[in-house]
Amino acid sequence: MFFHIVLERNMQLHPRFFGRNLRENLVSKLMKDVEGTCSGRHGFVVAITGIETIGKGLIRDGTGFVTFPVKYQCVVFRPFKGEILEAVVTLVNKMGFFAEAGPVQIFVSKHLIPDDMEFQTGDMPNYTTSDGSVKIQKECEVRLKIIGTRVDATEIFCVGTIKDDFLGVINDPAAS
Amino acid sequence: MPPHRDEDDDVDEDYDGLELEEEEERGSRGGSKKKRARSDYVDDYADEDSEEDDDDDEDYDGRGGKGGKGGAKRKKSSASIFLDSEAHQVDDEDEEEEEEGEDDFIEHGTDLPDERVERRRYHERGFDEENNEDVEDLERRIQERYSRHHEEYDEEATDVEQQALLPSVRDPKLWMVKCAIGREREVAVCLMQKFIDKRSELQIRSVVALDHLKSYIYVEADKEAHVKEAIKGMRNIFTNQKILLVPIREMTDVLAVESKAIDLSRDTWVRMKIGTYKGDLAKVDDVDDVRQRVTVKLIPRIDLQALASKLDGREVAKKKAFVPPPRFMNIDEARELHIRVERRRDPRTGDYFENIDGMRFKDGFLYKNVSLKSITALNVTPTFDELEKFNKPSENGESDFGGLSTLFANRKKGHFMKGDAVIVIKGDLKNLKGWVEKVDEENVLIKSEMKGLPDPLAVNEKELCKYFEPGNHVKVVSGTHEGATGMVVKVDQHVLIILSDTTKEHVRVFADHVVKSSEVTTGVTKIGEYELHDLVLLDNMTFGVIIRLENEAFQVLKGVPDRPEVALVKLREIKCKLDRKIGGQDRYKNVINVNDGVRVIEGPSKGKQGPVRHIYKGVLFIYDRHHLEHAGFICAKSTSCVVVGGSRSGANRNGGDRFSNFKAPAPVPSSPRRFQPGGRGMGYNGGGRGRGGRGGGENSLLGTTVKIRLGRFKGYRGPVVEVKGDSVRVELEMKIVTVNRDAISDNVAATTTSRDTSRYSMGSETPMHPSRTPLHPYMTPMRDSGATPIHDGMRTPMRDRAWNPYTPMSPPRDNWEDGNPGSWGTSPQYQPGSPPSRAYEAPTPGSGWASTPGGSYSDAGTPRDHGSTYSNAPSPYLPSTPGQPMTPSSTSYLPGTPGGQPMTPGTGLDVMSPVIGGDAEAWFMPDILVEIHKAGEESNVGVIRDVSDGTCKVSLGSSGEGDTIMAIPSELEIVPPRKNDRVKIVGGQFRGSIGKLIGIDGSDGIVKIEDNLDVKILDLAILAKFVQL
Repeated sequence: MFFHIVLERNMQLHPRFFGRNLRENLVSKLMKDVEGTCSGRHGFVVAITGIETIGKGLIRDGTGFVTFPVKYQCVVFRPFKGEILEAVVTLVNKMGFFAEAGPVQIFVSKHLIPDDMEFQTGDMPNYTTSDGSVKIQKECEVRLKIIGTRVDATEIFCVGTIKDDFLGVINDPAAS
Repeated sequence: MPPHRDEDDDVDEDYDGLELEEEEERGSRGGSKKKRARSDYVDDYADEDSEEDDDDDEDYDGRGGKGGKGGAKRKKSSASIFLDSEAHQVDDEDEEEEEEGEDDFIEHGTDLPDERVERRRYHERGFDEENNEDVEDLERRIQERYSRHHEEYDEEATDVEQQALLPSVRDPKLWMVKCAIGREREVAVCLMQKFIDKRSELQIRSVVALDHLKSYIYVEADKEAHVKEAIKGMRNIFTNQKILLVPIREMTDVLAVESKAIDLSRDTWVRMKIGTYKGDLAKVDDVDDVRQRVTVKLIPRIDLQALASKLDGREVAKKKAFVPPPRFMNIDEARELHIRVERRRDPRTGDYFENIDGMRFKDGFLYKNVSLKSITALNVTPTFDELEKFNKPSENGESDFGGLSTLFANRKKGHFMKGDAVIVIKGDLKNLKGWVEKVDEENVLIKSEMKGLPDPLAVNEKELCKYFEPGNHVKVVSGTHEGATGMVVKVDQHVLIILSDTTKEHVRVFADHVVKSSEVTTGVTKIGEYELHDLVLLDNMTFGVIIRLENEAFQVLKGVPDRPEVALVKLREIKCKLDRKIGGQDRYKNVINVNDGVRVIEGPSKGKQGPVRHIYKGVLFIYDRHHLEHAGFICAKSTSCVVVGGSRSGANRNGGDRFSNFKAPAPVPSSPRRFQPGGRGMGYNGGGRGRGGRGGGENSLLGTTVKIRLGRFKGYRGPVVEVKGDSVRVELEMKIVTVNRDAISDNVAATTTSRDTSRYSMGSETPMHPSRTPLHPYMTPMRDSGATPIHDGMRTPMRDRAWNPYTPMSPPRDNWEDGNPGSWGTSPQYQPGSPPSRAYEAPTPGSGWASTPGGSYSDAGTPRDHGSTYSNAPSPYLPSTPGQPMTPSSTSYLPGTPGGQPMTPGTGLDVMSPVIGGDAEAWFMPDILVEIHKAGEESNVGVIRDVSDGTCKVSLGSSGEGDTIMAIPSELEIVPPRKNDRVKIVGGQFRGSIGKLIGIDGSDGIVKIEDNLDVKILDLAILAKFVQL
């Protein structure tokens, strides 16, 4: 799920960035630092949409770096248990398949794939129904439900299922 | 054995209790009631006994009358459902009742219910009155008594009451009487018969024979004389044996049931304790409590061939050591071997069994009747494999993990914790889910969402199983996968399938073995000293990262950059752990350190990105969490990666030319750590004293053909054979020339060359040097202008010292300085770290020369290093230089001395040589243990065999048993001896002596010289471990 929230961060800036463009430098550094990161609490920071306030800078003793408290608005993405997501399959193996929904990696175990889908080895390993009408392979888009998440400091890992109504392949670029 | 019997059995059982009570004769069923209760717990009875008891039964029935019997039966059925604990209670009550018969003591002490009082009266009356009441009366009374007595059981006896029931001094005593072994029951029955026959004479109260006690019976009586009287004339009782009194304390124990008796029932998992099947899992098929035997179902371990030959009467070679592997019996196969297979019906169960040589088989399983003693039911935790095997042949679709009850039996205490999600697996409430509220001994109070149920609900622990849902994050706390964590992906009854966090693989575990946890661990992460994700050196000198631990083995991702290569290695195949913190350089010569983020820009892993976990020999191990194979590790050449956020213009900013390095060595402050990469692992050496301090881009240059654009060799071309720091060794396409020594007036040439050649394998490469030497002079000026080389060298004396083998360094520096006095002005500023050398450098070239060694000494710090420093030089140098015209090659070749020679061949040389010689010899002597550092190879230990011409013949291996190689001194380092080692003194006045290191004091060693047994204190640096070849 995406959220638009305000976060705060203390930015340290090297004195060489001081000058007219200080603010721009600060913002660009903030973006570089923050976008794409993951926090267990908020999930992945997808994009910074705006800066709320930039506080007074504080010169650090000894280094000359200046610390600015910056409040910024950003879009975060955090997967939840029970959430339905669309994801792109990145890897298929005999244990199931991995899919990615943006920065989130989701594993769908073969136990969570409908029983009628069988694993087929080959250079394009895939899961196929007995009649061959549905095939899950790399690059496929699938709709899945998250049944569990594990949130680390730097990543979020999910286990998903497609063993439910209206879940499964929604688009197969290879087929089209 | 279940207590369902027909009426006759009922009565049998009463007598089987083998208790004799006074009132039995009178048809009172009071005694028999007690016995019933007892009979339920004491034992079940052997059939053979019941036969002889039958007479008594008849007798009894006649007397007791139908009504009495009916009443007793009712009682029996109600009593029989009581558990062991009740049985105890009843037991105590028995004794109490008996004592009541004697005196009224208890009555005053406790609040006995009325009916008991009545019973007691009856009891008393029974004693002295003859049984003259009519049957109806008896029946009525008995019925009355039992119908009321029934309620009594519902009352919980309090502790105090229980206590009061214990025997006291006033109660009859128990006497142990020895009898013939195996005749215990017979004796008891005889005594009973005797009592029936002449009851008035016998004053004993009861007789007990216990199954577990051989050759003794217990007799209850007030006096020993009574017992003696009773047993007089009995066949199987040894009257001469002393009759033992059972102490009051132990009386209850005699009749207490062994509460720890394991409740074996059908489908319980057990393990065999002895025989061929020792340790094998078995499933209980039938239990015969009487004979103490069980029928178990096993996977047969039968060698059909051997069996066939045995049945044919042939001699079978007895190979004890060989135990056939467990395999299901294939009847057809057996028939093929002409083994007679009979199909028989088991009369009891009605099942058909295949009989082969007395063994019974069904569905491939062996049904074996074994003694209870030969199996164990404690701590049986079948593994999945075993369970699966057992389930295989049935193939009735449902995965029957039956006998799970035994799995539960082995639960640890505190298995359930408050808040655990549980599911009821047995009984009426099966499949009810709830949460543990409280654990109370065996009962677990659970809270359920279900309405209409008591809240909390008490459930026996054995009926509960932990419950997990897919998506739960759990940790395995016992079993083979202990320690692993993962997410539940599937729940199949009591079996969970977990996706392991580390391996991203499925793991099957029992629900009982896991707990909910948010923790992320990797399961077993360590075997021996090697941990998951360690960089290790393997036997065959390859290296790799441990990406997975298996049973006693490691999966190692080898350091082959072209393709991922995974090897499974055993612990012993790992040589050592590599945990040197060394750096590398990326494609643009940015320094890569461990934990720097890099991106792979070419090769098979192109596009991958992640922090570097290990660097070794120019190979990076990158951890990319999105990479699913090999535990996320990617192996790549450092040159095919770029540091994320690093500059890609490492070369350009220094002048846009490959050789610009020489001119303007990188702004040192910007990358102070670049020096480290120059370290040993990368094959650089400290020789780069004069080098620009950046070991940049060697690999990209390596092998390319370059043209020298400056200096004497301007215009010459050749392939780059080595890059070291900012010197490049170019193999010029030029002949070797010989010039007169005098013709080389410029020291610079020599120095630079040496700098250039400052690498390990100088010896072998000598021929190249001549051509190369010239290259440097031209560069020197650059240096001067840049001043860096010098300062580099000087700035980090430590490093240089560390890399001492590369002797050349110090002299070269001096040389430049000589050659370019102009630079001198600058150099001192760069040498803050080594004042001594500065001092030396300032003066005239000549003096400078003389002093250089000194300067370098001071740099180097440890005398030993110096030793090595000079060792290069001496031997080749001394003989050759003075007389012969100096070829560039020789100058360049003898790095240690070049400075000296050109300057003042006569003096410089003379001055130095003795020193050098002495030192060098001090260093290398035969029969000492050294460590060999060859460029690009791992260190080896070897023993010097011979020293000649500056090269040493070294036999590899700590005792010199390996190959013999040639090594130059700079590649060698003495292995410091340890206490109690035999040492060879390689320097000083005792040089050559052999002694024993009897102690170490700081940097001094205390040596007892073998020749004269003198004890000397010598510098450790001149001691080498002595190895006798």
